[in-house]
Amino acid sequence: MASVKISNLQKRYGNIEVLHELDLDVADGRFIVLLGPSGCGKSTLLRMIAGLESVTSGDILFDGKRMNDVHAKDRNIAMVFQNYALYAHMSVRKNMAFSMRLNKTDKKTIDEKVNWASSILGLDEYLDRLPKELSGGQRQRVAMGRAIVRDPEVFLFDEPLSNLDAKLRVQMRTEIKDLHQRLNTTTVYVTHDQIEAMTMADEVVIMRDGYIEQSGTPMEIYDHPNNLFVAQFIGSPSMNILECEVAGQGASSVAVCKGVTLPLPLERSFSTGSKIHYGIRPEHLQISKKSAMHDSAGDQSSLSATVRVVEPTGPEIHVYASLAGQDICAITRERLELQPGEEILLRPDISHVHLFDGETSNAL
Amino acid sequence: MNSSRLKTILRYLVSIIIIGIFVFPIAWFALTSVKPISAVFNKDRVVVFDFEPTFDNYRVTILGGKKSDNNANSSLGMGTSGEGAYDGRGSILSSLIIAVSSTFLATSLSLLAAYALSRLSFRGSQGYMHWVLSQRFLPPIAIIVPLVFIFRDLGLRDTHLGIIIAHTLINIPIALLLLKSFFDDVPVEVDQAAMIDGATRFQCFYLVVLPMIKGGVAATAVLCFIFSWTEFLLSLFLTNSIRTVPVKITTFVTSTGSEWGYISALGTAAIIPGFIFILLVQNHLVRGLTMGAIKD
Repeated sequence: MASVKISNLQKRYGNIEVLHELDLDVADGRFIVLLGPSGCGKSTLLRMIAGLESVTSGDILFDGKRMNDVHAKDRNIAMVFQNYALYAHMSVRKNMAFSMRLNKTDKKTIDEKVNWASSILGLDEYLDRLPKELSGGQRQRVAMGRAIVRDPEVFLFDEPLSNLDAKLRVQMRTEIKDLHQRLNTTTVYVTHDQIEAMTMADEVVIMRDGYIEQSGTPMEIYDHPNNLFVAQFIGSPSMNILECEVAGQGASSVAVCKGVTLPLPLERSFSTGSKIHYGIRPEHLQISKKSAMHDSAGDQSSLSATVRVVEPTGPEIHVYASLAGQDICAITRERLELQPGEEILLRPDISHVHLFDGETSNAL
Repeated sequence: MNSSRLKTILRYLVSIIIIGIFVFPIAWFALTSVKPISAVFNKDRVVVFDFEPTFDNYRVTILGGKKSDNNANSSLGMGTSGEGAYDGRGSILSSLIIAVSSTFLATSLSLLAAYALSRLSFRGSQGYMHWVLSQRFLPPIAIIVPLVFIFRDLGLRDTHLGIIIAHTLINIPIALLLLKSFFDDVPVEVDQAAMIDGATRFQCFYLVVLPMIKGGVAATAVLCFIFSWTEFLLSLFLTNSIRTVPVKITTFVTSTGSEWGYISALGTAAIIPGFIFILLVQNHLVRGLTMGAIKD
């Protein structure tokens, strides 16, 4: 096991700079997830750590040792690929034993390790099968088995679950996390699926356009996004963002969005007229049916919206509504009978409002 | 009779007709090889099966037997040549040596080049591929004169090695193109996985990727073999004494007549090695060996 340190790492393809002087520290035994949309450079970064891409400038260090010029085969890493990349002509046993055969490990040790890995991964009865005789999930397990038998310093996963169906993905997610807890090997995991990132990571690193936007524990990132991009990227359904202007002053200041007045946290002060992005997560909008009482009383902190779509997921109901012409999503655990076109009231939980600068999009 | 059954019958009927069209010339050719000359040339009717089969043509061309007089070629005005002129054994051996060697050379050289072209990116790799392919744009007749002189000066004319080199050169572009496409089918992640597992680039090629495309290699080898086995023009110009089967057969057409019996016997016999070669590799002639390596 090793710690991984990335410092001032840069990657260029000709004139195009795809990674911009990145810094990242992965402590020994940690599970970190590189998360970002397609083309953000997360896979490139992983491949540079693996030694499959050259480094333009900067350093990659394993336990303080510079790895830039060390060949992939000498880095003692193991990598699991999105498309499994199994050796199709070899049985499961040979796939797993391949690296040890290259190292000229003795047969007894090879057998022990393969049996150990196969028992961990539940592949005992498939050892003599060819990859084509296995299901997607089993193939992915073989790929993981091939990685763990090597006792690597660092595990690298490049979107390993993207090709699996939804149910299997959830199952494999747990298996990978379980495996990490057992082996405690430093792991760098790339995904574009924020649920995977949230559920598996010790630390999530969010990337965009070759920059690291934010890193932290999943809950830190969820609760305190640094900027609008992170706020919207993490969370499903994503955070509601309303473009507003601050009206009033001091304790009486409110955010106004197309005529709708939204409450602002009392402890903060804002300059009148400044533009802000008002963010609120769907679960922090309390839904209630619009009754005659509400109508007449005109509850100050509730917003009137029109239901567009209702999506029951089982544990909760996602309600997509229209608020002053903007789409807004709210989640409730109550069994509300809502119909499209129905008027509802949404009450934002003021303590969970996220505010971002209208120009820089950074958190206020 | 329901329509699906009718369709099946029609499908079979059409298949039989199409197969018949393709097989008939070969069958007729093979049949001719066992006909006595009187059945080959019958002025009154077409002799199909009602003849006394004779293996005399094979005895002369394949076993090196003496040409018998009861063939009565002379009475039909057929040409006669010297002793052993119809012995095809040497030609078959030469053809085998040349075809097997050039197939081996073209396939193995192309394998290495194709792997490099598929996996490594270098300046002008795309243009290089086109350039290689352009070597096949010229028909062999266009290069035959300089080739004859070059081979003569190098002492390669009328040698097995000379023809092997010529056939290898002609086969390389096609073999390269084919093999590159097979390598391209194997995802590059497989190589990368092997390298991370500790393999060198050559071990990646030899232990991992090559076994995954052996079907493609077999297909390429078959194409190279068939080309070399049937190639006529280069063999004709580059040899005098070494005669490959196609060239040898043309010597049975003389100024005084064509030895149809011998032509068909040697021709039929010449089908066999290619047939055996294809039988040997046909198990590998299946795609899908890469199945299971990646998500399908």
